[in-house]
Amino acid sequence: MSDPRLFRLRVTFAKQGRLALLSHLEVARALERAVRRSGLPFAVSQGFSPHMRIAFGAALPVGVGGTSEIFDLLLTDYVAPARALCALQAKSASDLMPSACRYVEPQAPAASVAFPVGTYVAQLTDEVRELTVPKEVRVVRKKKEKTLVVGEFLRQEVEVAGNEVRFALESKPSGSLRPDVLMREICAASVSASGEALRVLAMTRTAQDPA
Amino acid sequence: MTNLWSRVAPLLADAERPARYLNHEFGCVYKEDAPFRFCMVYPDTYELGQANQAVRILVNRVNAERGMGAERAFLPAPAFCDTLRDEGVALFSLEGCRPLAEFDVIGVTLPHELAATNILEALDLAGIPLRADARRDGDPIVVAGGPCAFNPEPYAPFFDAFNIGEGEEMLVEGLRLVRDRQDAGASRREIVRALADVGGWYVPSLYRWRGEDEAQEAGSWIEPLCAGVPAVVEKRVFEGFAQSPGWEPNIVPFAEVVHDRLNVEILRGCARGCRFCQAGMMYRPVRERSADNVVESVVTGLAETGYDEVSLTSLSSTDHSQIAEILTRINAACKGRGVRVSVPSQRLDSFGVEMAELVAGQKKGGLTFAPEAGTQRLRDVINKNVTEEDLFAAVDAAFAAGWRRCKLYFMIGLPTETDEDVKGIASLAQRAYDRAKAAVPPDQRGSVRLSVSVAVFVPKAQTPFQWDGQITPEETLRRIQLLRNSVKYKAVDVNWHDPKTSFVEAVMSRGGREVAAVVEEAWRRGARFDAWTECFDEDAWRGAAEACGVDPEAVAQTTYPTDYVMPWSHVSTGVSVRFLALERKRAAEGRTTEDCTFGRCSACGACPALDAGNELAQPRTSGGSNARKEAADE
Repeated sequence: MSDPRLFRLRVTFAKQGRLALLSHLEVARALERAVRRSGLPFAVSQGFSPHMRIAFGAALPVGVGGTSEIFDLLLTDYVAPARALCALQAKSASDLMPSACRYVEPQAPAASVAFPVGTYVAQLTDEVRELTVPKEVRVVRKKKEKTLVVGEFLRQEVEVAGNEVRFALESKPSGSLRPDVLMREICAASVSASGEALRVLAMTRTAQDPA
Repeated sequence: MTNLWSRVAPLLADAERPARYLNHEFGCVYKEDAPFRFCMVYPDTYELGQANQAVRILVNRVNAERGMGAERAFLPAPAFCDTLRDEGVALFSLEGCRPLAEFDVIGVTLPHELAATNILEALDLAGIPLRADARRDGDPIVVAGGPCAFNPEPYAPFFDAFNIGEGEEMLVEGLRLVRDRQDAGASRREIVRALADVGGWYVPSLYRWRGEDEAQEAGSWIEPLCAGVPAVVEKRVFEGFAQSPGWEPNIVPFAEVVHDRLNVEILRGCARGCRFCQAGMMYRPVRERSADNVVESVVTGLAETGYDEVSLTSLSSTDHSQIAEILTRINAACKGRGVRVSVPSQRLDSFGVEMAELVAGQKKGGLTFAPEAGTQRLRDVINKNVTEEDLFAAVDAAFAAGWRRCKLYFMIGLPTETDEDVKGIASLAQRAYDRAKAAVPPDQRGSVRLSVSVAVFVPKAQTPFQWDGQITPEETLRRIQLLRNSVKYKAVDVNWHDPKTSFVEAVMSRGGREVAAVVEEAWRRGARFDAWTECFDEDAWRGAAEACGVDPEAVAQTTYPTDYVMPWSHVSTGVSVRFLALERKRAAEGRTTEDCTFGRCSACGACPALDAGNELAQPRTSGGSNARKEAADE
């Protein structure tokens, strides 16, 4: 995204409420449309099929919300961050709402790789009496089964308070462990206060940090 | 009033594409407190229905009424239909997540012939009795409209009333009447009886369905059961169409839908007069929105929705008298914004290609043309006023301009078709391919692709070919095989539609009220989503026809003389049956009829019957838009 003539605006937004059920692609499309509605002077790529110069942060799974999600937008003219934020907020769906805008260096790492550490909070159907975090998780990627070692992705111990589980995952260049997949395994391995099977009610990425 | 969201939400975790069921899209309107409630139902999934223009237009119209609230509902995908049933959750509207049974009026659009079982699936999921005569005071009034309402009989028992024609005004008039009568404590029967007095509303329960001999004797299949109801229901026309703004509030969906873009309807109606085409008869007269109206609508619409694509919709957009001016001005207004403009239904001549080029930019995907028939003789029979030279000129222009792929649409089984006509498709396609190759630089000839897509002719109600039977599925396959054997070029692909679904389309298109029982029985045997190839269940339909004692071959395949009274003769598009019969006679003689928006009046009868007329933004000329030269000069 490096072009010295353009202004690189980094927008922080929330994906919440029932819109947590949107897919990454649906979120991307919705944000692009909000930018167009806002009237901001977005840059357009050259070439065979010109499109908006916008780049999205690390994807969230369907069903997982986020309070500090980001996208980078290239502008052809400078717009004061506070004004840009107002323009975006006025044209955004309430559950997909920008909360901050700032300019970043053109050479700064891409939004999708700048913050590999995600902190997640999951609300469960019941209190956890005995937490078990599996050592390994088997996943299917491109029709191939793969075993992921949970410890390689977890940044700290999984914390439990009542029916709330908190953890941080780091995505690696070689791949990442999905938070919803990890939680499903944790629920299956752990014991609830009532003895009933645990399920995730809601899950949110509450922070994204550099490695 | 019930809100089902707390019951629906937990089911969404395992649903495919939950965005279908979320509501909360940008631009959606929810009049929560409106005392009178209307729900517009599209009988297929969100992806197909949300893009439908009738849904948008009518929801907006009803919401504009004081005291009325309109919501949308779609049929969930098959697996989620089963989930709702298993969990005992009723079909719900999006805006209020309210069970459909709690609405005052349900409106279902009938977009094509393969949606019938989906209507029953939706009503059943909603817990609303399938048949109008089983509904009681307190159940919603269930009405239908859309293209298939022009032969309402195969759907008649399932609906309390049909909206015949353009719903902009008549739907709201009907709803006002229902509301006022409901408020006055009228019974269901009194309400629908009153509805029959409003222009364009057909109430099937007020008529007795006659047997065939009696119908032919009487000149109509229906006999009024009470005094004062019309013998023929004439369609309604939205007279303010041309002057009304092409932009109106639009919902921007989260889920990717078909035609996921801004749609601006630039004209309504088509008078080219192709004799197989129902839309060409149904939407007369022709009405154009002006260039100023269209350009302003596009600019406003793009700014309000944030779409990066706009489609200028109509049955024949390149026939608009100001199309070149429109496209030139839109290009100028959208320059540098990464906006794509698309013009569906390409006109088959070099002007059509010029217009496609105006909006294509550097990216040239494929171009589609519809010669419909392979020989000039058959094109004259169907009144497709296009010559081989028109097609070749279009192909020359398209490939010279940079296109490398072209698709040609044909129909098989058209009245009077012979094997020579079928072979003619292969010959025409191969010669078009030769022209295409000659039009591109020698080093790019390997990339030239031409495909042929064939559909089976489905006789449509309200057209000159309504009396003609469909060929059998076996004969269709023989002709397709003949076509495939006749195409010698490897670079020319042949694709075709499944004749089994086309057969059901013909049954639904031409059937009388007796076919409704077949629909219900087919649904009971598991038929739903008939338009989805992977869901189509031929056995359910076959078994249902047998169980109901209906001979589906007779319905689809019988050819009648033009004095035979068809089962939809009590519904009128404004085009006279005399004109349809005359057109059928001209077809047999290979005589063509002019398009009245370019030449003289063809006396189809629509204008006097509907007390309306063609409204053109400026006179049309056969070479293309009058603005063509001005646009080229810029």
